Amino acid sequence: MVSDDPRAAMELATRAQLMSRLRVGILAAASGGLMLLCLPNMLRDWQLYEPAWTQVVAFTMLAGVLGVEAVLVVRGRLWLASWRWPAVGVVVLASVLSYAALPYGHAASAGDWIFGEATWVGLVVLLSRPLRVHLAFLGLHWCIALVNMLLSSDVERAMVLRFATGSIGVIGYPLCMAVTAAAFRGIARSAAAAKWETEQVAVAEAAAAESHRRRQQRFADLDVSTMPLLEGLASGRLDPADPRVRHDCVVEATRMRRLFAEVDVVPNRLLHELRHCADVADRKGVLVELDARGQWPDLPLAVRRDLTEAPLTVLATAASWARVTVVGGPDLVCVNVLADCGPLDLPRPATSGVRLDSFHTEKKLWVEVRWQATASPR
Amino acid sequence: MAGDRITAVIVDDHAAIAAGVRYWCERADPPIELIDAEARMANVWTGPGAEADVVIFDLELVPKNPAFGELRRLVDNGRRVVVYSQHADSATVLKCVNLGALAYLTKTEGPEHLVPAIHAAADGRAYTAPALGGVLITDDDPRRPQLSQREMEVLRAWFASSSKELVAAKLHISVKTVDTHIERVRVKYANVGRAARTKTDLVSRALHDGLISLAELDEVAGPGT
Repeated sequence: MVSDDPRAAMELATRAQLMSRLRVGILAAASGGLMLLCLPNMLRDWQLYEPAWTQVVAFTMLAGVLGVEAVLVVRGRLWLASWRWPAVGVVVLASVLSYAALPYGHAASAGDWIFGEATWVGLVVLLSRPLRVHLAFLGLHWCIALVNMLLSSDVERAMVLRFATGSIGVIGYPLCMAVTAAAFRGIARSAAAAKWETEQVAVAEAAAAESHRRRQQRFADLDVSTMPLLEGLASGRLDPADPRVRHDCVVEATRMRRLFAEVDVVPNRLLHELRHCADVADRKGVLVELDARGQWPDLPLAVRRDLTEAPLTVLATAASWARVTVVGGPDLVCVNVLADCGPLDLPRPATSGVRLDSFHTEKKLWVEVRWQATASPR
Repeated sequence: MAGDRITAVIVDDHAAIAAGVRYWCERADPPIELIDAEARMANVWTGPGAEADVVIFDLELVPKNPAFGELRRLVDNGRRVVVYSQHADSATVLKCVNLGALAYLTKTEGPEHLVPAIHAAADGRAYTAPALGGVLITDDDPRRPQLSQREMEVLRAWFASSSKELVAAKLHISVKTVDTHIERVRVKYANVGRAARTKTDLVSRALHDGLISLAELDEVAGPGT
């Protein structure tokens, strides 16, 4: 049975794994019985059957079912539900056919080879089914044999005793195997559950470790610039009334906003992060125009940081207005920011494909950060 | 229109926009006389609106339904149209330019662009506001005209700064040269795509003024035309 549920699939796989040895054993027992006991008995009583070919057909039918099982065992597969019931039908048909040609008075004799063999072949087919299914099959087979005995022999004490003692082995041994298989099913279920839980815990642990690593990375980013500022403010070394300290605070606040925006899952990350940077300026009363044109690929975090770092600083410094524009194509992205502020000492881009240009007049500062794909196809 | 007073008719469903534009027009130099069509196209075709030199056209009189058909009818009748719209997506802007609008301005662009756009349109010239500049440099239509590196650079700087003085200072060229580059781009655009009277007028005028040569025009049309 194929299941979309990963948990059910895991249980199925675990069961197949556990069952494989048991199946090999049962297959060997069934095949050995067929070849070493049934075949010699059948050949010895060859003259008795009426007609004899029915026994050959019944024998071939059981051998065929065992052959299919052998292929499945080699491939490590279970019986398909759609194949299982036809196979059971074949086994039942084989025993009916064999009994039909059994001569009068031979029930439960050595010539009645199918009495002991059909239950093993049935067990092979139904091994993964619940115990009640096995009981139903064994009951059906026993009834066929019983009906045959009642119809085709003089029901006398010796015959009944022979049939009864035969029945103990015929029903008993396969039933033991079916009980064992049922126990295996329970073990497989709890083993699969344990495996499932182990995997869930492992996945949760890996996710937690990854987010911890990212958080540490982000803390490390803040460590360089934000922490000294906070420490300075806490110790009283930095004066909040100092315009330069206030400016640094705005820059750091904007960097933190950008940091928070970096984890968002959005279609256009660069624009999303720029909007967050612009929003900080907007909050302190700067009128920000933001316009973007064109389409560009998703850029790596380091490149995006380089593209937003200078605009972020300019936006945090702008006195009353700023214009931020982005134009992009497949291998070129330009972020421009123009604002009413004096010249600034801007950090140089850290990645190789990014270039920074700045130009200023008396009252305006214009910064262009440009990313060009390094391995340009042109 | 030389010597005469410039007249413009505005079609916009927001009374505040019409009033604001009227204020800008009155203070323009030279002043522009504004007629309010009160959001009715009939007032553009009949009465004083029919005589106006320039039509200031809100593309979205009906929300979410840009009136390309109206724009086409206006252009085909030789009207000089400045589109003034809320809409700013690149495809809409390019479509208006292709239909023959002389200018496309977004409503975030104020009098510093609208007034020169009306003046230019009254004179049969195109005006490229910064947003339109941004659209033109990121146009990736295979039928787009070929722009030179310098033209791209000027347009990009114009889009970024929205000030021709700043572009000129940054690229160490004169404001006049900045204008020339931007105008040449529009002439190249007028020479491709759909034929419209405003567009052919723009091209023949550019040829006459020596802004662009015939050979250059053949080049920009690119392969396939």
